[in-house]
Amino acid sequence: MSALLDQLTRRQLLWHGDSQQLAYQAVASGYPELDQQLAGGLPATGLIDIQTDAGIGELRLLLPYLQQQQHHSQRLLVFIAPPAELSADMLAGAGLDLSQLLIITPTQQPATAPKNNQKQNNQQQKALWAAEQCLQSGCCATVLIWPAAMSLAQARRLQLAAEQGAASMVLFRRPCQSLSLPVNLSFSLQPDQQGLQLTVLKRKGSWPAAPFLVDMQRRWPALCLTDPTGEPMRRAG
Amino acid sequence: MALFLYLHFPALQLDHLQQSAENSQHLAIALVDQQHQLLQLNNAALTAGLKLQMGLASAAALCPELQLLPYQPEQQAKVLKSVAQQLYQLSGDIALDLPSGLILRLDGMLRLYDGLQSYWQMLSKQLNALTYRYQFSCGATPYAAKCLAYQQANLITADNASLLAALHASPLEATELTEPLQQQMARLGIHTLGQLLALPPSELARRFDSQLLSYLGRLRGDYYHPLEYLQPEPGFSRYLELLYDISDSTVLTKPLAKLLQQLEQQLSRANCQCFQLLLTLFFRDNPQLQLSIGSAQGEYKAAAWLQLCQLQLQNLPLPEPVYGLQLDVNHFAGQQRPTEALFEQQHARMSALQLLSLLQARLGRSAVSGLTLQNQHLPEQATQRSLPLTKDYVEKGQAGPPALALRPAFLLPQPQPLTEPVTINQGPERLCPDSWQLNGQRDYYIGRNQQGQWLWLFRNARQQWFVHGWFS
Repeated sequence: MSALLDQLTRRQLLWHGDSQQLAYQAVASGYPELDQQLAGGLPATGLIDIQTDAGIGELRLLLPYLQQQQHHSQRLLVFIAPPAELSADMLAGAGLDLSQLLIITPTQQPATAPKNNQKQNNQQQKALWAAEQCLQSGCCATVLIWPAAMSLAQARRLQLAAEQGAASMVLFRRPCQSLSLPVNLSFSLQPDQQGLQLTVLKRKGSWPAAPFLVDMQRRWPALCLTDPTGEPMRRAG
Repeated sequence: MALFLYLHFPALQLDHLQQSAENSQHLAIALVDQQHQLLQLNNAALTAGLKLQMGLASAAALCPELQLLPYQPEQQAKVLKSVAQQLYQLSGDIALDLPSGLILRLDGMLRLYDGLQSYWQMLSKQLNALTYRYQFSCGATPYAAKCLAYQQANLITADNASLLAALHASPLEATELTEPLQQQMARLGIHTLGQLLALPPSELARRFDSQLLSYLGRLRGDYYHPLEYLQPEPGFSRYLELLYDISDSTVLTKPLAKLLQQLEQQLSRANCQCFQLLLTLFFRDNPQLQLSIGSAQGEYKAAAWLQLCQLQLQNLPLPEPVYGLQLDVNHFAGQQRPTEALFEQQHARMSALQLLSLLQARLGRSAVSGLTLQNQHLPEQATQRSLPLTKDYVEKGQAGPPALALRPAFLLPQPQPLTEPVTINQGPERLCPDSWQLNGQRDYYIGRNQQGQWLWLFRNARQQWFVHGWFS
């Protein structure tokens, strides 16, 4: 390499197309193929955007990661506005410390009852406010939130708060065609018979890879279709 | 020889009112009593040429834009008491002399502070911080000090001769003698205290009532003068009357910050913190409103408390304008600092308990909860919402109940009827409610629907299918 190129590289004016430096610190996700594809695992801080349907295994994918995050720093896990009642059995079974766990369900105060639309907006606002406070505080490891919608500015603000408090935040969203948010990692999930089909949409500091399969047969044998020719049982309610 | 210091606050109630509203300095304000005499004046009123004891008519003629407020002795007594509480840290024996004076006994304090000058230096610093106008003087007896303080003698000395000389030169107006008695003395040609003290007591006893004799006896120190010294009160209770009614709850934080500042001073002096504040808002027509503001970790800093109060006030619709605030703290606790790791890279901005109080203040107590696992076989009973950040089993030194891993992440509050085709993957697992009632039994299955969602289903005794949750 010529002296000029060498000098330019050293001054960070020139870089190689094939060198991929992760913009974040990675934490092993507990699934070897995921770790391999994402060069180490899921980000320890910052936003993780997951576009998924409910109930296909999105939380199961994260459970080892959440356990590590919580255990490593002895900090809180916060669930904000989960779509239904969380079950303690599953979370405790995955090794999470239930005493270091908070559930925040913003509700409308009965004193003021505005219109339905405004009410939802208000709840959404409160949820985001709570998320920002948790991220900033520095005593939460990971915040999980199920937002109805999120704007670019809100995501940017939460990303900053997460960096400030060295926390990570997981957004569970419905698959949508909106603009990509300023997040560390964004992927979408599709159900698969052996686990989940994962498509990386965006990864900070690297190129997106081809869709790949996360195999859940070892961790969750009961929640995989071992026999693809299983007979569906039709029932009406 | 005993030595006393008398502090006289000529306009305590007015100064206290002005403290809560800075932008009222240029307004001429006066306090008037029932007889329509001016009792207390602020600086703007004094520069306008108003004098104490002036009638309303002449005052209005001198200063047409004069604002009048009623004189409230019980308000002033409260303020005086709070002043005494704040001076108590510096001086041990303080007696209230209503309506506007404090008597401080010095002889014990002089040994502690090593001399009068250093003592006065500390005390005046604290007095200036209070921003109330005051007059002061030393004296050999409480009445002597009071008499000198009324004339603004401002003597700080333990020298008996100079104190006596000043006392003898005092006019009778500065004494406790009643108005008719003073007139009577003036007619006799007695104008100063020195002239009065020179007369033999037996002569005075023949001509005047016992009141005069007992006053003079106490002034000289011949008679015992009982003083009730202040005992520090546990807790904190301050009332602040607003100069104008406030209808916006965000504006309310401004006067509240002042009260919290005072609370912080008291707490930090006592090396204490508190866990709960009671804030009472007073309305003219509606009943008063009491808010309880809690901090799970305990705080003493005014800024931290103000943030919590702000969050709670944000959600609060005020029924009508507020005219007064009262802040009470019933219980103080010793300060504790949480231990932190020495080599921690990132410094947490707040502790988990502080975060919790912040969230609870804005969202309400019920919005934040924890999760506990109960030793129950029915899924809806196994999971319980609990108070946040409580450690049920760790503290008792037991292991929690074993968790059943193959349970759904989300449970529906009410099971929903199954309406779509599913593939059953595992089951059944039979769960019965209490006492094994066979008609209440449910057979649970794990199923997958066409969209690939994993559902937790059950079939009841009447062969009806329901969805109870989903594996996320």
